[in-house]
Amino acid sequence: MSEITFNHKMAAHCESGSVTALLNHAGLEISEPMVFGISSGIFFGYLKGPRFAFPVFIVRSKPGQIRKNISKRLGVKYHTASFKNPQKGEDELDRLLEQNIPVAVQVDFYYMNYILSHERVHINAHFINIVGKKGTKYIVSDSYFPKLVEFDRESLMKGRFAEGSMAPKGFMFYPTYVPENIDYEKAIRTGIKKASYYMLKLPIPFLGIKGIRKFADSVVEWPKYARDIEHLSHEIMKINVLLEDQGTGGAGFRFIYATFLREASEMIGHSGLLEMSKRMMEIGDGWREISLFTAKIGKNRDLGQDRLKELGNIIRKRADVEEVFFRDLQNIIK
Amino acid sequence: MEENKSVDLKIEIKELIIKTLNLTDVNPEQVSNSAPLFAKDNDMGIDSIDALEIIMALQRKYSIRIDDQNLARSVLDSINSIAEFVNKETTKN
Repeated sequence: MSEITFNHKMAAHCESGSVTALLNHAGLEISEPMVFGISSGIFFGYLKGPRFAFPVFIVRSKPGQIRKNISKRLGVKYHTASFKNPQKGEDELDRLLEQNIPVAVQVDFYYMNYILSHERVHINAHFINIVGKKGTKYIVSDSYFPKLVEFDRESLMKGRFAEGSMAPKGFMFYPTYVPENIDYEKAIRTGIKKASYYMLKLPIPFLGIKGIRKFADSVVEWPKYARDIEHLSHEIMKINVLLEDQGTGGAGFRFIYATFLREASEMIGHSGLLEMSKRMMEIGDGWREISLFTAKIGKNRDLGQDRLKELGNIIRKRADVEEVFFRDLQNIIK
Repeated sequence: MEENKSVDLKIEIKELIIKTLNLTDVNPEQVSNSAPLFAKDNDMGIDSIDALEIIMALQRKYSIRIDDQNLARSVLDSINSIAEFVNKETTKN
């Protein structure tokens, strides 16, 4: 029986929310946008090929990178563990809770049955914090849920040891060391430089700005991947879901990145970053226009070639605007 | 006086939503200030796509931004909550 006094907060995104809450608990006052920005969370990738039944896009760095980059750039040390044997994973979690250590665990979102059933999908890279245990129930702080919640052991185990792509394998982490003095200016500058590099210069044709262009060029070909109009409509409407509803903080993480730039501007006294923050908010508005456009044409089954070309053109405009943005950002942070 | 302003704002928001969603058969008077907007029995009967349209319409009209889906859920709960948010944000600016 254990329950840690834990300040539960909702967050825009599960991984940055989970990392932030644990850092706050460990005594480091840092906001979620700051964690997201310092860890270079913003990204874009357009993925297709044999591994994917249908092309997909991503709008953030890969799962785990936020924690890893926070560790590198702020000097926070984490204990991490994965388990082949579920029983050992459960025992270790219980042992840590007995010691009043809140722990982040990776789970399949689908089994988080305190969330409304129609909102739950199988995603193996959801992060929640476990902050106590009462009998067979765990006390969960999930940044997508408004309050702490009691969660049954069986569902937690199913979530922690779900199979499939990016299987969690009971992965858990918690901070073991938080430095007293942090060079935030250096961390902010590194986070921005790396994000700009990933967006502008990765030599891979489907990542960063090149990925947005690939997405723009390819969306007209989506009918050939779809079984029928219903399937195509579903996939087009999923663009809206991936940008707005999957814990992105809105507009595919562009708004949370804008908030990071504003907070960074205040923290290091750099007025140029405040201007960049305003520009990033406008970029986010543009992605939100895409969300709405795709939701509407998908819902109305208005998916002819002209409409898809129109969609491609507005996505391409995002690539053009973000390319200029990240070049300017790179230049002002040198 | 403040009360009149609040009533006017709520009517204005209802009119904005009706216009944005092209709900030709709904009058502002029919829409309750406190009823959940997403409830099936609400006269507006809005869905998540409508919600996005409302967010963008509010942004255009009042220059306010709802930039987080958790915030969106609480703000778009009812006409009262939208009015409260608009009032708070526009006063802040």
